Amino acid sequence: MLELRHIHHHWIGPNGQPQPLLQDVNLQVARGQTVALLGPSGSGKSTLLKIIAGLELPESGSVWLDGQDISDWPPERRRLALMFQDYVLFPHLNVQDNVAFGLVEQGVPRAQARERANDLLQRFGLVGRGRDPVTTLSGGEQQRVALARALITEPQALLLDEPFSALDAEMRDSLRAEFAQRIAEHGMRAVLVTHDEAEARAMASVAWRLQGGALVKLW
Amino acid sequence: MNPPKRPVLRSRHNALWLAAVPLLFALVFLALPVARLLFEGLWGEPVPGLALADTGPWWRDAHLQWRVGWTLVQALATCVACLVLGLPMAWVLARLDFAGRLWWQRALLLPFVVPTLVAALGVLSLWGPRGWLGEPLAQAGVSLQDGPWLLLLGNLFFNLGLVVRAGSDGLAQVSAQQVALARTLGSTPWRAFWRVEWPVVAPWLASAMCLVFLYCFTGFGLALVLGGQRFATVEVEIYTLIAHELALGPAAALAVAMLALTGGVAWTYAWVERRLANTARITPVERRPLRGAGQWIWALWVLALGIWGLLCGAPLLALLGQGLRAAVWGQGAAVWADPDTWLALRNTLQFTAMALVLATVLGSLQALAGHALRPWPRWALAWRASAYAPLVVSPVALAFGFLLVYPQWLASLPLLVAAYALLAYPFVAKALTAALDALPEHYAQAAATLGARPLRVFWRVTLPMVTLALRRGVAFAAATMLGEFAVSLLLSRPEWLTLSTLIYQRLGRPGAGNLDAALVLSASLMVLALLVFVLIEGRLGSGTSPAASQARRRAAATSPPTPAA
Repeated sequence: MLELRHIHHHWIGPNGQPQPLLQDVNLQVARGQTVALLGPSGSGKSTLLKIIAGLELPESGSVWLDGQDISDWPPERRRLALMFQDYVLFPHLNVQDNVAFGLVEQGVPRAQARERANDLLQRFGLVGRGRDPVTTLSGGEQQRVALARALITEPQALLLDEPFSALDAEMRDSLRAEFAQRIAEHGMRAVLVTHDEAEARAMASVAWRLQGGALVKLW
Repeated sequence: MNPPKRPVLRSRHNALWLAAVPLLFALVFLALPVARLLFEGLWGEPVPGLALADTGPWWRDAHLQWRVGWTLVQALATCVACLVLGLPMAWVLARLDFAGRLWWQRALLLPFVVPTLVAALGVLSLWGPRGWLGEPLAQAGVSLQDGPWLLLLGNLFFNLGLVVRAGSDGLAQVSAQQVALARTLGSTPWRAFWRVEWPVVAPWLASAMCLVFLYCFTGFGLALVLGGQRFATVEVEIYTLIAHELALGPAAALAVAMLALTGGVAWTYAWVERRLANTARITPVERRPLRGAGQWIWALWVLALGIWGLLCGAPLLALLGQGLRAAVWGQGAAVWADPDTWLALRNTLQFTAMALVLATVLGSLQALAGHALRPWPRWALAWRASAYAPLVVSPVALAFGFLLVYPQWLASLPLLVAAYALLAYPFVAKALTAALDALPEHYAQAAATLGARPLRVFWRVTLPMVTLALRRGVAFAAATMLGEFAVSLLLSRPEWLTLSTLIYQRLGRPGAGNLDAALVLSASLMVLALLVFVLIEGRLGSGTSPAASQARRRAAATSPPTPAA
């Protein structure tokens, strides 16, 4: 179980005064479950995701993973893969090296890591693209590579920060279904941040809305 | 105050460790000499018997008033001239598509690579009394040598390209959608430029103006050769007071006044640079093809390239031409039989190589420490400004400070190398800082969530993406050190002759043979500087790498070398 317990966080408003952003947020994500977080821009969804990933420290509260308090763990130790809206593929690495990145950090020999990366790319419909520069990929292809890069490390959870918002409607629909299937295949738990309710319904079994700093359950 | 974020690479401890070495270096080789200079300038005793000291504070001396006033005027005049000439050139570069556009963009960097003395001789080769254009002008009754014109032309040679690059990069930040919107709301093209484009490009130009002012105000080599008695700058005056009149008190007082002014400009520059780091994502205005453009656009294009060619390209060609003439038809070729020449070449390369290693380490640590301090904006700004401190203190004043604080180390190689590195590491720091600023945070975050520890994030993600900018900064540092002059003049021993000091020696001796030798040496030093630059940087204005192109543009636009000394 991935848990957030009593998370509090604030931000400094334009008047210089602290404004509450997250107020006593509690969240649970079971293995194999996809939880969606909805809310308008600026509601704190992405901040919450960064707190889970360890990229930001909350003012108070804790993050637990399978019964262990990981609040003080750095991001590289938590093994919670984060996917960004703008893919964030490393431009100086080709496709296969992007996918293999996390494996190399885990100590897998580079040649073996590349082999596994190419296997996964094949399953993602990107046959023969391993040596291509990432800039030659379409938006949908880049997002697939980003997902492959995240999944190959077998993370404890997948954190998705509006992963399809940069794509056109047709690509979005196609990738949603594909992502949902692949996440289910890996038995992954996932937290999906989105402002699109249709997307949340397509991909998540549980949905919350961030409202006034607190979570309100939708379904 | 915002609660602290967990930075991937940044933490207060990281920042302290990274800052330790450049801080210690700056303390020993900059802060202490400057502090001693301040002490001498503010509280030092006048040296008995020296006329200057007897007259009291420097601001009551008419000669020194003129020096300071002229130094200020020539710096401001250069800023204005660069802006008036450079902005249309920047517009041509940013808004028009034409054959050779990329080559011109690369050629803008040429003056940055050329050593100061070489540039001075280039200006003389073109505009001097025996120059390609100077001679016919003199015969027509227009003598440029009698006034400040040669110095101003030298200033323009060095600084015009800087303003053009900054302006064109600023124009590239203008949103095409905003311009289109302004037009649909009734703005004419000129009003759209004034109300939409100018606010975007102005900070870039302000940043460039700060640099232009600093370079011109603290300039030494150009003023020494081109300014003559009447139009030399305060730096030359300080040098004269120290080296020829032994008037340390007035020299220190002058240096203090210079420091106060340049310090304020450097702080402004750091503040503007920090603001420029927050560039938004926009769709830039597309370049229109020159072919098919109206006659006014054509006229502007011809003027822009013509004026740049005359002010920046022609002096280099003239120097090459004069150097060849001196070698083939004059007495210049004999310089290669002189053992002093080979000694100077060896020393130049040796000192540059040693100092370059030191400058690269210092500049990189400086930039990384500044990046680590970003969660604390005030500290980050102060640290950022401190990187430009060596540019604020002129090489002459610095050498003077060394004389006062470390007399026992004078004419020691470590001090000379340290002085070289001190003057050059800001270029490495600037280039790397701009690249780090432009690098989106997400890359490091993604790497961290994929299991990379902070050092691995730096090694595998950050460093490859800023390598182009780092190489450019190192290339500029190398070019600066190859042509280093003022420090070499004041601190080195006779057996430490460098190419710059040898050129100066030859210029100071009478006879056509010595002038020919100086021309040949200058042309050779220019070629050497270009060669070293291209070798280190890869290619003059090398090609883009996918996501680093924005960082490279920012770094290239704001990291030219100083022509100081």
